[in-house]
Amino acid sequence: MGRLRAQTPLIALIACACVLLADVALAADTLAVHESFTPDKLGVPTNLSVTARFLSTTGTPPSPITKLALYAPAGLRIDARGAGTCSAAVLAQRGPGGCPANSRAGFGGGVGLVELPKSVIREPYTIDFFFGPPQHGHLTLLAYASALAPVPVELIVIAREVRAPKPYGIGFSVEIPPIATLPGASLASVESAYATFGARNVAYYETVHGKRTLVHLRGMIAPKSCPAGGFPSEGEIVFADGTTLTVNPTIPCPR
Amino acid sequence: MRPGPRRYTRRVTPLLCATCAVLLIGAPPITGAWGASATISPLFSPNRLGVKGRLQLTIRFSEDGSEGVPSPVRRSVLRMPAGLGIEIPHLRSCSIVRLRALGASGCSAQSELGRGHALAEAVAGSQLITENISLWLFLGPFHNLEPTIEILGRGFTPFDERVVLTGTIAFDKAPFGEDLVLSIPPIPTVPLEPDASILTMSLTVGTSIPKGTGTSTGAGANAQANTIVLPPACPAGGFPFAADFTYADGSSNSALAKAPCPGRSKSATSVPATLALEDYLGG
Repeated sequence: MGRLRAQTPLIALIACACVLLADVALAADTLAVHESFTPDKLGVPTNLSVTARFLSTTGTPPSPITKLALYAPAGLRIDARGAGTCSAAVLAQRGPGGCPANSRAGFGGGVGLVELPKSVIREPYTIDFFFGPPQHGHLTLLAYASALAPVPVELIVIAREVRAPKPYGIGFSVEIPPIATLPGASLASVESAYATFGARNVAYYETVHGKRTLVHLRGMIAPKSCPAGGFPSEGEIVFADGTTLTVNPTIPCPR
Repeated sequence: MRPGPRRYTRRVTPLLCATCAVLLIGAPPITGAWGASATISPLFSPNRLGVKGRLQLTIRFSEDGSEGVPSPVRRSVLRMPAGLGIEIPHLRSCSIVRLRALGASGCSAQSELGRGHALAEAVAGSQLITENISLWLFLGPFHNLEPTIEILGRGFTPFDERVVLTGTIAFDKAPFGEDLVLSIPPIPTVPLEPDASILTMSLTVGTSIPKGTGTSTGAGANAQANTIVLPPACPAGGFPFAADFTYADGSSNSALAKAPCPGRSKSATSVPATLALEDYLGG
């Protein structure tokens, strides 16, 4: 849990990313982030949950996010065995319902902001995460963000696995395009985001050797050991106004 | 029905158990601006006075005025007609610890009171997720000399989860006999996403009786089966059932229904919850 100028858990970032952009000056003085594992145990399939909220002292929305790089704790593994994949094309044509159920990688949402000349519209959005086709041996995650009213928004972005510097493990990078909203209004920005990744207790029936079999996914596996001080993670956020924000949230070790 | 000695090995346990089942299911919905509505449908099989058989109770929850998922049910009180009993030939119970650890197979057949199924829904991301849940109803350990009921709910996909509910039995006033009171815990889905809500739940109280053996106390009846015992008389208008539900959003509602007397209409009559209980009973 953090409440510093930087503290952002991975996924939350992705969520944020999906959500918005606005081209207003960066008014987000701080970013409060909280990350946790469920269950909070070492070395077992788990869900990683992240919540993030921009805190502004000026009342104006944060600048839209244009790029995110997220680095997870060393030892955190993604076991995609048994999982399917979806594609950006399928998401664009058919939405999340068109993706195989076993390609689901996570859920999320939050509140987006659209700044009008004399007011700011707050709009809830949802995010659906799916495994995408591996690229050059690296994982990809598809994020489908959508908002219905008052401004309909649909955005699909691809997060690609990247090499993370020590002391981190797996990392993902995603570029977020500008999200136009209403004539005369700002680009979409994000006030808050939350996301949960993993497939703990997720199971699907598959036909194996002609027999209907319940297949359990493993998804995300928590590290087998926890460094003193907790699991370190890092998020690097690039805003449309050219500023950057680095956050270093820590997930407490299991008690 | 008034408090008094009850025998559990020879017919008499008031049907509350059944009620339990109902609650079990558990986590029904309710709503936001419009509120949830609920209906119950009881059905005796066979429908003959004073005989052993089964009671099927079906509960449906919906969100009035919208297509949203109803708020999860947190507490249910199922009110059963006076005179309804349950016959348990071999008094065996199953502990909740055992049920949680081993599932239905960890409990003896003699402790099983019935089975059922439910359909749960939850919203996660932009998606509406549904899961079919199998239910098992067991006799739990006695608490303060009163029987308890345990309901195991097990879903396999998309979430392989197991939930155990515990119910208690309370006495009610005429025309009801006993109530099954269930506290229903949240049914989690994904961290940070809403809990699941139960849309429908159907529970059959009374275990199997082999075909051709009849339904009464004849020699052919399955001596091992736990069965319900229909009341010896049927009130005018049918056997009264009622249920009170409290939802996670703080709202509450009720549902009323009557199971037809033997030889009458074959279908149960559900009554809108807005109808006054007195009017309903007087009808």
